[in-house]
This record gives sequence, structure tokens and C-alpha cells, in this order.
Amino acid sequence: MANTAAPAIRRPGSEPADKRRVRRTRGLKSALTGWSFVAPATIIILGLSIFPAVWAFILSLQSWDGFSEATFVGGANYAQLVSDADFWNAVGNTFGYTILFVPASVLLGLFLAVALNRRIRWMGFYRTAIFVPFVASAASTGILSTYLFSPQFGLVNNVLRVLHLPQQGWLDDPHQAMLVIAIMSLWGSAAFTTVIYLAALQDVPAELIEAARIDGANPWQTFWRIVWPQLAPVTVFVTIWQTIQAIQLFDLVYTTTRGGPLDATKTIVYFLYEKAFRSLQFGYGSAAAYVLFAATLLITIFVVVYSRRKGTEAF
Amino acid sequence: MSNSVLAEVVTSSEQIAAQPSAAPRKRGRRLSGWHFVLFPIALLFLIPFIQMALASFSPAKELVAFPPPFIPSHLTIDGYVQLFGQTDILLWLGNTILVSGTAIVSNLVLCSLAGYGFARLKFAGRNLGFLMILATIMIPTQLLMIPTYILFATLGLLNGLGAAIVPWLATAFGIFLMRQFFLSLPAELEEAGAIDGCNRWQIFFRIVLPLARPALATLAIFTLLGAWNDLVWPLIAINNQQSFTLQLGIANFQGAHQTNWSLIMAGNVVATLPLILFFLFAQRQFIATMTFSGLKG
Amino acid sequence: MSFQLRNSANRRRTLRLAGVIAAASLAVTLAGCSGSGGATTLDKKAKVTIEVWSGQVDAAQKAIEGLANEFEKEHPNVTIDLSPGASSTDQLLQKLSAGFAGNQYPDMSYAFGSWAGQLEASGRTLDITSEVAKPDVKWDDFTAAARGTAQPTGKKTIGFPAVVDNIGLLYNKTLFDKAGLAYPTADWTWDDFRTAAKALTDTANHVYGYGYSVSGSEETTWQFWPHLWQNGGDILSSDGKKAEFASPAGVDSLTFLRSMAVDDKSVYLDQTDTKFGQLFVSNRIGMITSGPWQLSDLKIGGTKYGVMPLPGTNGDHQTVSGPDIWALFDHKDKNRAYWATQFAQWLTSAEQDERFNVAVGNLPLRASEASSEAVAKESALFPGYDVFVANSKNVKETRPTTKGYAALSVAIGKAISSVLQGDGEPKSALEQAAKTADSEMNK
Repeated sequence: MANTAAPAIRRPGSEPADKRRVRRTRGLKSALTGWSFVAPATIIILGLSIFPAVWAFILSLQSWDGFSEATFVGGANYAQLVSDADFWNAVGNTFGYTILFVPASVLLGLFLAVALNRRIRWMGFYRTAIFVPFVASAASTGILSTYLFSPQFGLVNNVLRVLHLPQQGWLDDPHQAMLVIAIMSLWGSAAFTTVIYLAALQDVPAELIEAARIDGANPWQTFWRIVWPQLAPVTVFVTIWQTIQAIQLFDLVYTTTRGGPLDATKTIVYFLYEKAFRSLQFGYGSAAAYVLFAATLLITIFVVVYSRRKGTEAF
Repeated sequence: MSNSVLAEVVTSSEQIAAQPSAAPRKRGRRLSGWHFVLFPIALLFLIPFIQMALASFSPAKELVAFPPPFIPSHLTIDGYVQLFGQTDILLWLGNTILVSGTAIVSNLVLCSLAGYGFARLKFAGRNLGFLMILATIMIPTQLLMIPTYILFATLGLLNGLGAAIVPWLATAFGIFLMRQFFLSLPAELEEAGAIDGCNRWQIFFRIVLPLARPALATLAIFTLLGAWNDLVWPLIAINNQQSFTLQLGIANFQGAHQTNWSLIMAGNVVATLPLILFFLFAQRQFIATMTFSGLKG
Repeated sequence: MSFQLRNSANRRRTLRLAGVIAAASLAVTLAGCSGSGGATTLDKKAKVTIEVWSGQVDAAQKAIEGLANEFEKEHPNVTIDLSPGASSTDQLLQKLSAGFAGNQYPDMSYAFGSWAGQLEASGRTLDITSEVAKPDVKWDDFTAAARGTAQPTGKKTIGFPAVVDNIGLLYNKTLFDKAGLAYPTADWTWDDFRTAAKALTDTANHVYGYGYSVSGSEETTWQFWPHLWQNGGDILSSDGKKAEFASPAGVDSLTFLRSMAVDDKSVYLDQTDTKFGQLFVSNRIGMITSGPWQLSDLKIGGTKYGVMPLPGTNGDHQTVSGPDIWALFDHKDKNRAYWATQFAQWLTSAEQDERFNVAVGNLPLRASEASSEAVAKESALFPGYDVFVANSKNVKETRPTTKGYAALSVAIGKAISSVLQGDGEPKSALEQAAKTADSEMNK
């Protein structure tokens, strides 16, 4: 049965003139108010980004070695990407990492935030402790990863040896290296999602929780039925943001495995970095960057549309 | 706008603490079971910093080995003596504080305004504008370094601290974060204000912003972190050694083949400590600030 | 409908704006090609400022700063604006590329030898061939490899050599003593080397006979070239257009390394470029092939070591050298060009070089320095330094400096890395790499 409600079509001239004028003035006024809020930040961000973004796009249509003149090649870079097995390997690695990392990161952050959202002694110390790895640079985290996960000399295999468990290849094993990087990445960035959720939990009205408790809900139900929906906008933020970060993984790969072993940890950004700064093919690297951009944009739009359709007011 | 509505609508954390609450608070010396969960976790997370601190007090001989011993054979302050005596670490620290401080203030102001605008106000071009801002973080920054350099060269901003500060005046992250936080605040608060005759600015400053303390603290923390630890861009943009930031200075302890590990470890400790202290202070804002006493949910 | 109209109006406006910016950026990119003009006639007394990116850190940077001050005192009209530039390969490359793109490049910069071909092709370098022909420059005193890097295509001279090096064999005396083996000699063959590596390897205690980087970078690649050359192979054809490393000489070389790594399991395969050096210092690897830069870490770590030339094939112990250069850039200003050249020449003359390169542990640039007091002093401080200096005579071939070398290096680096980790056969891997290199080089 089709819904036959016809959309309201506003025909020009169907409104009284003064009503239209009021609408336009109100529209103008709200535009002015709105833009006065957002303009300073927007101008700075877009002003600093538009030129570089367009330049990088033009570069993707050229061949440039960083020193000489650039030559125009049109879509050749993009065409070459499609048949580049190295590139698709990087896409696969990045995808695998993202699937592992994003849900784990969000849930870990949620769990830690709930654990840290109570008034017991030393809470400042606990919260700060979780924050410390996040402060360390990727270089420090990378060095630490190699200390821990070196198959011959690392701490983890030493522990396994004591427990009489088989030694693992970790960062030298193509099947495990990405997992290790995901673990270290989770550990290093746990504070990010934790801090954001912690802040969001402060804005959950206490009354709602009280009401639920009075109604006889247990803590589990209270959390998932009352608190979790309140966190929806922040959850959307964290999911989108961590996805974008995961897709752009580079620093930790650079400081631990350099894309190895056997390209098992080569992510898309590492691929484009190598193309641009090792092979001196900046145009080709830029094309890869823009493919990445397109994919990220699509994923983000999908998440936004999905959350809008669920009606959660989260975006 | 009447203050009574304000007082009804928002109760500060001090007042919450003063009011007798429905749930009895744990008093006395009973140790919460959560300590058994949190303490091991905290230790696990703290290990790298402990290791870095120990390494900064290790003799250079043990730092060139792999793997270096976790606990050094003896402690030495040689790294720090060299750091404070022979490098410009204090100058770099001062520069970094200046850059980060400016970044924090600027972001807190501009991003909360913009975040609120994108969250609650309806105006032409809003969705497109926000989408474009989001889009700026979707391009890997590695390739944007060179054109940004050209841009700054044209604007004459290279080489000074301005090069380090300007990119951090406002961030897409900040706008996105504040927007989502403002979205999670119940709209009834602002509607109550509007009914009472407040304009948008008053609603923002008097009702919404005071509730945003945890969000603002979060923004401050992450902006500080980003500006403080920024390396790749200042490396390209700043040549003048008087304008070096901490990370830039520390990066110069490491050459193509040679690395001065003692200096790097000591430098890293000096670079990380202020951030940890700032967080310890800022996380105190993460206390519940919101409760409705005048509205039924 | 009005909302749609507003949206499409916005869209059109945004597109037009994008178009304007695109045009502007294209204009800037194109405008970036022409350098700004300066003095057209040489006036040696005119006030001049030259910008120098040293690419040095720490002690080396301080040494250069001292020397720059001296030069300024001797020539009061010259100001040297000295900055480190950047300390690592990747960062310096970014800086130079950004500098070129934004027309902010210096007058003189440290540049890694593998970029020499690109730099010359960029058209932004000076050509000082006539300058270096002058007798007081003593151009031939530089090693052949160093001169070759400063003259990538032989047509232009784009700068002065900055740092030279070569690879030798470093062996860990502690581990050799423990295994009861005789130390390597200057007559060693690669078979002697392989036998020793196997004897030194103790898998249970995580001790390896040899260490090799499989990161796929230049470190992976250039360690391979001595094997190729000793076996009579070539990297490139004489016209520089075709990769020739997939020859029988190349296959033999890679098969040898593979047999050590995969069959003997006597090689620590380093996923980074730095761990094998550290492990050698920590007495976990018996032998590494590396350069004089290892000596300072060895001294700090207190390791007992010795240095020898590389093992040889049929008496040929030739090794590889990776010289870096002081590239001189053209700003269309005769005064700046003159003084930049003068400074580079002064810096690399024997007297100053002893105070810079030798003093910080690099090898002397000039053959005449080999018998100097400075070298003797350095050898006393760092045992084995003199062996590296003498090993310069084993540098017979120059690493290619053509435009396509970077891409070639990546292609073969990948092949070597895979084969050593057990993935693929030498012949097919090298042939595949040669094909990739050919297509990339001739783009």
C-alpha cells in the first residue's frame, strides 16, 4: 500500500508577501547568527586546508620527483594504482587493522571510562596512569614494542618461555605482526576514547540513573538502557574519529616494522610514504592519498547516514 | 533573563556534594574492590614511562645495547647534565609552552563557538561547511606538508614560532568534538532559556558553556597534546634554532647513523612530564556537573 | 525547493572558488620554477648572506658552527646562515622538496648521494666544473667514488663531496673467543665468512653469526652491491637505462646470502636498519658489515671488536661507498654562488676536513689526509678507524647516481628482503625486480 501523502509543494506566489519577507529576514538573521558562531574557526581551518588539498590533488595528476619539474600524466597514476598488487595488499592490511582496532578501541575506552568514573581514593592517579602511554610519541611506543615483542630478545617471549608456552614470531612473523601493532596501538591510544567517554559520562543526568534504580533496574540494565543512549553522539564521534585514525595508520608502522615483514604491516599511508619519499614518486603517492580520501569520505557518510536513519539524534 | 531559571536548571557539583543524596556514600576505611582492577591496569599502562625514566638515568653504555636492561646497573644524571648544560632545552620548553598555550586558548574559544553553531543553530551552508571541515582530516598529512609549506612561504609565516602556532589556532577535531558534546546535552535546557527570552549568545554563555566543562577540559588536553608533540610540520617549517620546539630539539639528537640515547631519554622525560602534570590537574574537571532539579525528565 | 536552490547555489559558489584556487595554485607551482634573480656581476667585496643546511647533529653540528664562524671572521662581508636543516634522510628530503616547491631552498645543503642524479636533473644546482678544475682545489685528491657522486652524469659538477665512507667487516672478539675461532684476516673469502658465521651461531642462546637488514631500504640494497661487483656483475648498463643485476653474477650473490639466511640460519634478519648494529654491540651477533659510524657506539658499549676489509672473491675485496655531497644551489646571484662555492671548497680542503670529518669520526675526504696526525689520533681513539681509511682503496665502483636509482633500489631491496626471509627464489625475484626497475627508471 503506497503512502499517498503528497509532499507539500510551495508554489511561488502562494504566500502572502509580508510572510515571505519575515521568513527571509528570519532566515538571514539565523544565517548571520549561525555564521558568526562558526566563521572564525571555519575560516582558519578551511583557509589553511583548501590550497594544500587542491595542490595535492593536482599533484596526483602529475609525475614529480620532488626536485625537478612536474610532468602532467592525467589519470595514469590512478590507473596504475588499480593494477598495483602492492597497493591492494596495503588496502587489505589497513582494512584488517581497522576492523580489529576500532571496535576494540571504543569498547576498551568505554570500559575504562566507566571504571574510572567513581569517587574512590587515588582516582587521579589511576586516570593519569591510563593517560601516560598516550603522551608518549610514536617513536617511544615503537621502541617499546620492539623491546616487548622481539622474538629473540623481547619480554613477551621470555614470559612465554617461563610458562613453557611456544615462542611466537610476533613482529617478525607476517601473520602476527599486524596483531602486535594493533595491540600496541590500542594500549597507546586507550586514553583517547577513555577521556572522551569519561567527559561524556559527566553529562548524563543523575536523575535518570536515580529513576532507573528506583524502578528496580540492575546496574547492567541501567547502563545499557539509560546511559548508553545518552552517549550516542559521542560514540558516533569516537567511532568516526578512530576509523579515520586507523585508516591512516603510519607512525607506529614506521617505528616498528617499516612495513615488514614481507609487507605484512604495510598500510596505505606507509605505501604512499614509500612511493613519495623513497621512490621519489610524489604524484603516484598523491594519487594513493586521494583514493584513501575518497574511501574515508564514503565510510564517514555511510556512518552518518546510518546513525541518522536510526534516529538517534547522534549526528 | 531571569537568574532563577538558571538556578533551577543547573546545580553545580559543590551543591550536589552538599545535598544528601538518595544513595548512601561509602564511608570509612573499606577499600573499594575497584582498586584490585585499576591498580594492575594502571601499572601496565605506566610501564613505558617508568622504563623511559629509568633509561634517562642509565649510563650510556647500557643504552647502546639491545635490549637495554630495564633496571640499570647504576643510576647516573649524566644525560640530564648534558641536556641542561649543553643544549637549549629550556628555550625549547619555553617556545613549546608558548605555542601550546596559545593553541589551547584559541581552540577553547573558537571550537566551542563553532561546535555549538554546527550543533544547534540552523543556517544556510551548515551541513556543507561541517562536511568540508570533516573532509580536511581525511587526507593523509604526509602529502600536505609541501603545499602547506608553499602556503606559509607565501604568507611569510615560515621560520618563526608563527609557523608552529597558526595551524593550531583551530582544529577540525576540536569542532567535531564540541559539536558532538553539545548534541548530547538535552535541548530542553536551551528551549527553557529561549522561552525566557534569551538570545543565542546568552543561551550559549550562560546555560550551555558552564555545562561543557568536561568537554572543554577534554579539548584542552588533546589540543595541548597535539600542539606539544607536533614534530613533522615544525621540522620542515622552522629553520631558526631560536624558534625550535621541544620535539624538534630532541629530534636533532638523532642523526642518520649516530644517536645520543642518553640525551634523547632525558629529553623525552622533560618533554613528557609537563603533559602528565597538566592532565593530572585537568582531569579534576571530570566530575558530574549536571543535574536537573527543575525539570522532569 | 528553495532549500535545494540554496544548496545548488552554494555548490556552484564552492566549485567556482575551488576553480579559482586551483588556477592560483597551478600558477604558484609554475612560478615556483623560476628562481629569484640577484647580482649578475661578481663583486667579491659585496655583503652577502648564504644559507647553509648542514644536515648534522650534535657534535658534528657544533664542529661546523665553529668552522662557519672562522670563515666569517676571515671574510667579514660574508654571513653564513647555518641551520641543521634536518638530521635524517627522510626529513632532509622533505625539507628540500618543500624548499624547492616553495622557492625557499638554501645556497648549500647536505644531500644524500642517492639524490645526486635527481638534484642535477632538477636544474636548480650550480655547475662548478670550471671551479674545481683549478689546481688549488686539488679535485683529484678526493676518492673516485666521491668525485663521481658530485658529478652524477659526468656533465655537471653540482657540489663538493661532504662525507665518504665504505663498508668493512666488523667482528666481535668476545664471541669469536667463545667459539674458539680464529679472527678474520685480510685474505678471507666469502666461504671462510660463511663457515665462521655458522660456527658462531647458537640458536638456543639467540646468538647469530651475521646480521643483515631486510627492511627493503637502501641499507638492504647497498650491502648487496659488493657481492655483485666482486662476482663481476654490474648494477646498470653503461647507458644507465637497463638494470643488469639479474645476471648470473647477481643470482650467485643472492643465492649465497640466501644459503646463509635460510639454510644455515646463521643470519639475524633485521626488520629495521638499526637493530643489527645494536645487537653486535651487545655481543649477540658475531660479524656485521658496516661502516665507521659504528665505532663510536662500540666504544661507548665497551665491546671488544676488530675491523677488516670485506671478504673477497678471487682476491677482489672491493667494497661499496655511499658518499654524500654538499650540493650547491643556484639563486641566479653570482655573489651568493661564488661565496657558497668558496665556503664548500674551504670546508672540504684538507686542513678543515681534518677538523670536521676526521674529528667527528667520518673518514677523511682526501687521500692526502690518510697519513695526517688527525687520522692517527682518531685511530688511537677508535681502533679500526685506520682500517676503514685504508679500505678506501677498495672502492672501485661508484654507486649509480642516475635519476632512477631510488626506484631501482626499492625494487631490488624488496627482492632481497623477500628471498632472505624465505619467500621466493633468487633468479625469479631478481628478474622481477629488474623488470620493475626498468619500467620505473624510464618513466
